[in-house]
Amino acid sequence: MSDKPKSESSTRRTFLRNGARVAAMTGLGALGGVLVNRSQAESWVWQIDPQKCLRCGNCATKCVLEQSAVKCVHAFAMCGYCNLCTGYFEPEPNALSTAAENQLCPTGAIKRTFVEDPYYEYKIDEKLCIGCAKCVEGCNRFGNGSLFLQIRHDRCVHCNECAIARTCPGDAFRRVPAKQPYLLKTTHAH
Amino acid sequence: MTTSTSKAQEGQDANNAASSAIAPLRPGVSLSRTVWVALIFCLLVSAAMLYQHSVAAERDPWKSPQLLALKEKLRDAPADESLRSEIRRLDLEFRQRYFRRLDLDNTGAWLLVGGMAVLLIAARNGVKIVARPHLPRRKTDGPQAGIEMVARSRWSVACVGVILITGLATLAFTGRSPLPDSATELDKLLGRSPSGGEVADIPSLAEFQTNWPRFRGAEGSGASKNSLNLSLGEKQGDGVIWKSPVPALGFNSPVVWSNRVFISGGDAARREVFCYDTADGKLLWQRAVENVPGSPAKPPEISDATGYAAGSMATDGRRAFVMFANGDLAALNFDGSPAWAKHLGIPRNTYGHASSLAIWPGKLIVQLDQDEGAPGGSKLLAFDCPTGKQLWERSKPTHSSWASPIIVEAGGKQQIITLALPFAMSHSLTDGNELWRAELMEGEITPSPIFASGHVIMVSPAGKLIAVRPDGSGDVTKSHIVWTAENNIPDVTSPVGNDELIFTATSGGMLTCFNAKDGKKVWQKDLDTEIQASPAIARNHLLLVSTKGEVVLVEVSREFKELGRTKLEDAFHASPAFANGRVYLRGAKNLFCLGTSSDKLATK
Amino acid sequence: MPTQSEKKKWEKGDKEYGTSNVGAPFHLFTFSLFRVSHALIVLLFLAWLPAFAEPRFPPPDFTETNHQIPTTTTPSARAEWLQYLDVAVLGAGLVVALWCIYKQRSRRGLFWLGIFSLAYFGFWRKGCVCAIGAPQNVILGLFDANYTVPLSVIAFFALPLIVALFAGRAFCAGVCPHGALQDLLLIKPVKVPAWLEHALGVLPFIFLGFGLSFAATGTGFPICRYDPIVPIFRLSGPGLLISLAILTLVLSLFVGRPYCRFLCPYGALLKLASLASKWRVRVTPDVCTQCQLCENSCPFGAMREPSAGNVEPKQLTSERRRFGWLLVLVPLLIAGGAWIGSALAVPVSKMNPTIELAERYINQQKSPANYGPMTPEALSLQRAEHDSEALLKSATDLRHRFWLSCVIFGGWVGLVLGVKLASLSLRTKRTDFEPDRGACFGCARCFRSCPQELVRIGRMPAGDLPQSPVAAAAKT
Repeated sequence: MSDKPKSESSTRRTFLRNGARVAAMTGLGALGGVLVNRSQAESWVWQIDPQKCLRCGNCATKCVLEQSAVKCVHAFAMCGYCNLCTGYFEPEPNALSTAAENQLCPTGAIKRTFVEDPYYEYKIDEKLCIGCAKCVEGCNRFGNGSLFLQIRHDRCVHCNECAIARTCPGDAFRRVPAKQPYLLKTTHAH
Repeated sequence: MTTSTSKAQEGQDANNAASSAIAPLRPGVSLSRTVWVALIFCLLVSAAMLYQHSVAAERDPWKSPQLLALKEKLRDAPADESLRSEIRRLDLEFRQRYFRRLDLDNTGAWLLVGGMAVLLIAARNGVKIVARPHLPRRKTDGPQAGIEMVARSRWSVACVGVILITGLATLAFTGRSPLPDSATELDKLLGRSPSGGEVADIPSLAEFQTNWPRFRGAEGSGASKNSLNLSLGEKQGDGVIWKSPVPALGFNSPVVWSNRVFISGGDAARREVFCYDTADGKLLWQRAVENVPGSPAKPPEISDATGYAAGSMATDGRRAFVMFANGDLAALNFDGSPAWAKHLGIPRNTYGHASSLAIWPGKLIVQLDQDEGAPGGSKLLAFDCPTGKQLWERSKPTHSSWASPIIVEAGGKQQIITLALPFAMSHSLTDGNELWRAELMEGEITPSPIFASGHVIMVSPAGKLIAVRPDGSGDVTKSHIVWTAENNIPDVTSPVGNDELIFTATSGGMLTCFNAKDGKKVWQKDLDTEIQASPAIARNHLLLVSTKGEVVLVEVSREFKELGRTKLEDAFHASPAFANGRVYLRGAKNLFCLGTSSDKLATK
Repeated sequence: MPTQSEKKKWEKGDKEYGTSNVGAPFHLFTFSLFRVSHALIVLLFLAWLPAFAEPRFPPPDFTETNHQIPTTTTPSARAEWLQYLDVAVLGAGLVVALWCIYKQRSRRGLFWLGIFSLAYFGFWRKGCVCAIGAPQNVILGLFDANYTVPLSVIAFFALPLIVALFAGRAFCAGVCPHGALQDLLLIKPVKVPAWLEHALGVLPFIFLGFGLSFAATGTGFPICRYDPIVPIFRLSGPGLLISLAILTLVLSLFVGRPYCRFLCPYGALLKLASLASKWRVRVTPDVCTQCQLCENSCPFGAMREPSAGNVEPKQLTSERRRFGWLLVLVPLLIAGGAWIGSALAVPVSKMNPTIELAERYINQQKSPANYGPMTPEALSLQRAEHDSEALLKSATDLRHRFWLSCVIFGGWVGLVLGVKLASLSLRTKRTDFEPDRGACFGCARCFRSCPQELVRIGRMPAGDLPQSPVAAAAKT
């Protein structure tokens, strides 16, 4: 670059620097080799194992998002379409009506619609659901367990370290391949 | 509200920014005004968001105590229309507020970003306007300044280092953890007996059998291999070495190990364990069993006629075990400190759970017969004594029962024998597998079985005393019954016996002696008193206690012979406990220790 | 048996003892059911009350209506190819940054690149594909064979490092959203005194060591957990972090890139890498005239002055001796750090949920005092009870991993302090003003302060060039 004759110390430094760079590149290469060997092209996302979930309520409060990315989802095929839905109604409901005092959901996120006698369908309005698991507890304790919590990936910001997972008392959070990002429930286990 | 004004302000900001760009006459003033407006705007938005968080967050619909209290109220007064409408109103209000807050948070954050952007652009431009170009000055301080700087840096790095290292060291050397470091310590913690020669955490069988570790003695048959050191006269209170007040209600019998006597008692509010000194009856400690994980805050309603502490305790000489009718099972160390506790679910039992705990070195057995025979109702559970870990659980096809299990070694196996409608059942102590069952039980099963003369002797309260050979497998109803007796059958008390004779005492006070080999009646004697406590045998002494406090000592022989009698001022429903030649009796108000007077002197 | 003494009383027909001893509120359903009188459901409910693996209430067949049972919706996670887009954007960003720094020497270009990165990696990707956190994933991938590091994360870890090995911190210059945000905020830079800069400059290395040794245990990623910038990208977060974020923002109005200089662990790695870089950022495009106009141009304290004359030989020997002693101190510091680290495993490992649970479980066993209502803590204790042996075993194993990690971390702290202390005694002979290889973010701010640069881009006639002091000295 410059025409100045390089001093002895500066050539020594350049030599050292070159050595360090070659060493670092070799190290990085080795590291990359090991990891690429082990790694997979697919990315991973967080998900809740519904069979391990203890319905503690942390999901509503521990997510980094203001409104949690964890929502209640409904495995309709497992649902009994009960009139007295223990996920929908307060214990000892005053009446089997949609009145506020009878509903378990604090945000009124479950929609109850009549299908035919004596069946009712229950749907979750995810805009309202906060993932508090109150309905999940009711449904799992006394019903078929068709309501359960899942991380909704259209809302999740995919943190490197999930803040809810860190505090999950059931150790129910784990990474799953992004191609199959849900752990849906098909059977009720106790 | 805040949102709309904020928007207006933002518009103003934009205008300001625009005007500053269009009219460059006094850019500095205009810019600084923009900076101030943007700053105030940002602060306002932040304040609004902070306010929303601090105030509204407490009123989130799912944690509002107000709403919860109202709902609770409605449970008590379901027809209250005004309460209902109040709940609906509040519910709507809280929900609306919550979602409004979410909206505001979202828009507010973006407004803040926008405001910050305006602030930044204006401030940067403003700074640029007032910025003065750098004027280098001639360096006069030579190499010395560099050296001083290096020295100062060295000190500051050293300071940071010292702070860091002190901080880390404080953290490191003050940290305590109950988690053991090594595998051997972990084994100790897990209750596995270490290979070393320390005191074993599980008593030997011999040690176990010399004590009275559970309801009706080591085997639960009400018979002690040691004789009694007891002489009774006619006088009231004769033979009493000490008596000590019992501060709580309970029908359980004392259990005795070495120099300790344990009883339990309690009510809906509080359930406790009491530990007495055998020497002088001093109450050494009492400890409430509370905050058991999973135990509901509101205990079930149980009549005082059963109480919360009907089943007797058990002990292995290291811990005392207790179960209460609300389903709490707890282990306390001998110093009264809690060892472990668990909640087994509220026993669904008409009168309240009353079966006593059974114990064998290392294993604690709970007979939890409940419901009316529906699958998943009744069960038999085994727990590891030191840790409380559940070893196994077996479902039983039986109804509620108030009898207690016994553990015997028969047919080459350790068997747990339980009575409940409609089966007498035997389970292996090792793994809980069912060994045999016999459909012999009718009525409300209260008397417990005993093991005597190689047979399991059981009472069916419908009026049968039955002896069953315990070496069968499967259904032994037809095959293993040795004999059946049908006269003077008790409905509350359990039988007692030895290899030769079996005794029963009915509530009405009829004491009957049967031949253990064939069930033939040998003699009967009407004692003309009410008896609720099961009789017990110590070698050739049979001890009976009436509810009114008459203590009768009868000889175990083919003829009725009364050896002594005394009267205690109390009401007795609990069976006697024998240990070291003494008798321990639990009355409604006092715990009594009976023995000889010479013994009494010796202890002083 | 005492219990039955009162049996006769009960038999007289006091039925209220019936089913009333079921305590949990949900059991009380049975009552309300009768009140609401839905006999069918009641029967089903009672018959199936005990727990079964099969559904308690059979799924319905709709006979009257032809109702179709809906399926559970599964909004998909981010499409797979988008992560390659991220890597591509990163690569392109690095190339553009290099081009702006070395070829265009354009602050403006870097400014807009920063805005783009802030928008893309920051507000759009919400700060979560991020080179700063990537070393943790890499180290976990090394230590835990069950953990697979996604290829994109490896790329995010390696690409900026490789660039730094050749051409310095181009990533920091305009690709990192954290840096870009702080850079944009910098309004009125305050000069941080050199001694403070040196002292605080130790912290990123310590944080790097902590983050990596912690991540290696598989417990979590503290670098991500305590990141003070990401909550801004997400516009939400826990209260403590939000306040930390606001503090960082306010600080960066007056202190140039406080997070990058005094905390960023990835920055520490890049600093090390760029010390060995082949090319470096130079203030002047041509020849330094020693005009000193650039000496205050760097808001990040990276500008180094030319060496001022020769030091007295006496002082030089004492400096050399000190350097020798400090070199001897390094292994001692490492040993001491490792010793403290060995005891650090106990408190640090409490941050691991498994160990925390195991400890809580043991304490609970010792004194089952306050269990209280079914809080998440109580629930986890119940789980612990269920499989206490496995829990305690895995907790002890983990504690051993923590022990190793903490020993290494302690040694690392000693090494960082020792090397930093010793390196302060190293003197580089400089003839020109030039940015420090490691500390320079490549922000291109200093270029415009150089009159040679102004001449190069045509902002100043060549005749206005101030005379070089060297040249002036040569003249006289």
